[in-house]
Amino acid sequence: MSRLVLRFEGALLKEVPLGTRPITIGRAPDNDIPIDNLAVSNYHARVYVEAGSLVVEDLNSLNGSFLNDIRVERAMLKDGDTILIGKHEILVDQTHDVALIADELRRAPAPRVNETMILDTEERRKLLEMAAASGERSQLSPERLLVPTLTVLSGRTDQKEYRIAGKLTVIGHSKMATVRLRGWFTPEVAAQINKHEDGYYLGRGDQVPKINGVSIQGLTKLNDGDMIEVGRVRLNFLFRE
Amino acid sequence: MHIQAGARTDLGRVRKNNEDCYAIDPSLQLYVLSDGMGGQAHGEVASNLAVQTVLTHCRQAENSRATPIFGESSPDVSERTNRLASAIHLANRKVFETAASNPEQQGMGATIVAAWVESQRLSIAHVGDSRAYLLRGGSMEQLTADHSLVAEKVRVGILTPQEADASEMQSVLTRAVGTMSSVEVDTDEQVLLVGDFLLLCSDGLTRMVTDPEIASTLLTSGSAQESAERLVDLANENGGVDNVSVIVLHVVDKRESFFKRLKIWKRNSG
Repeated sequence: MSRLVLRFEGALLKEVPLGTRPITIGRAPDNDIPIDNLAVSNYHARVYVEAGSLVVEDLNSLNGSFLNDIRVERAMLKDGDTILIGKHEILVDQTHDVALIADELRRAPAPRVNETMILDTEERRKLLEMAAASGERSQLSPERLLVPTLTVLSGRTDQKEYRIAGKLTVIGHSKMATVRLRGWFTPEVAAQINKHEDGYYLGRGDQVPKINGVSIQGLTKLNDGDMIEVGRVRLNFLFRE
Repeated sequence: MHIQAGARTDLGRVRKNNEDCYAIDPSLQLYVLSDGMGGQAHGEVASNLAVQTVLTHCRQAENSRATPIFGESSPDVSERTNRLASAIHLANRKVFETAASNPEQQGMGATIVAAWVESQRLSIAHVGDSRAYLLRGGSMEQLTADHSLVAEKVRVGILTPQEADASEMQSVLTRAVGTMSSVEVDTDEQVLLVGDFLLLCSDGLTRMVTDPEIASTLLTSGSAQESAERLVDLANENGGVDNVSVIVLHVVDKRESFFKRLKIWKRNSG
């Protein structure tokens, strides 16, 4: 069972088991975790389960709630986290957990946890929002308005510059190639570029391409300005406006 | 380039019925695998319906370009990949409508992973936590991102992969075929190379057998069918907690397979 452990200057003051009900923290005596200190607002913060995760939420307190020393309005909690309210510490102990989160999700018709089940719409929506929020911080977003391009520096190709569009870009002699290589003994598929959620990856074809002079091993993420060598063709990978 | 295919589905050691299901259309080079959910025998109904719908829709589209497209097409992928996604959108609708008209089947659904090969080009589409892996030149890569609660949390960064593997929440899906009126389908494309192995599998394999074990089994088996059987055996030896299904594709050089066939023919006639 997971619990919140209230400590003050190292001394253990109180332990509160976590259930499905939110735990409130504040100066008023009717809180689940009352803290008698003027730096603490009457109803300061609460901890509850949402979409299968433990969340701390500051209730517009005057002096704020801190998670691992960072002021937060709302944040996901994990085992070992410390919430700081005033000078009181609240430790999140989930070492014996799972039961809690399982309970929360068990409202679905399937009673057994190892039975496959689907997250209900509301929980899914919250998760997607969370994912979207983190996506904004992902590597691709600053380049959202930038178009990835390949500029031919040397070698025989059908164009001098290519825009990369779509999930798969083939470099080779093949008809399906976006970057058509010309000349004798040119492989049908010399290399390929795959678009993933977080960027563009170069993979081998019938040849092993090089990035900045080094042969790739498996799929390798491309960075702005990388020099790609495929056989006798050299390409510059660039993000452009 | 030629594709050798092998497949196997098994009850496992714990479950009483097999809710997994797969189908292969060798002439279309279409491979579909599904893991059903939803108590009693309803998971089986869902996975079978999903697989059959995908197969039928793709066959129809192959015969008539006028076959309607379901769901939104993406400009990022080929017509064929969009067709595969369309088949899954239709499967979603069929399973959802079947469940809606049979109260006892409420909530049934399925995962699906499908691969379609045209010359060297591979289209992948999936929903749920059934996976596609590509083993190329000794390194194995998961081509699909699981639509499960733990996997989404790992992607968002609030769970480590180790925590995810240990979590009891692994069976909670964030997307499935047939549980809602519409579904988002993920797609991917690759160029296949001679020597590649492609593996489609249900979570009954990946929860029981580690990636290195999977890779070494693929690399050391004599044929795609032998790989498929050895992978299922491994899952069962390691506990067989869930139904296990695998489809193994091995891309071989045409000439090689011709000589192999010649050898077999010689052996049989000699």
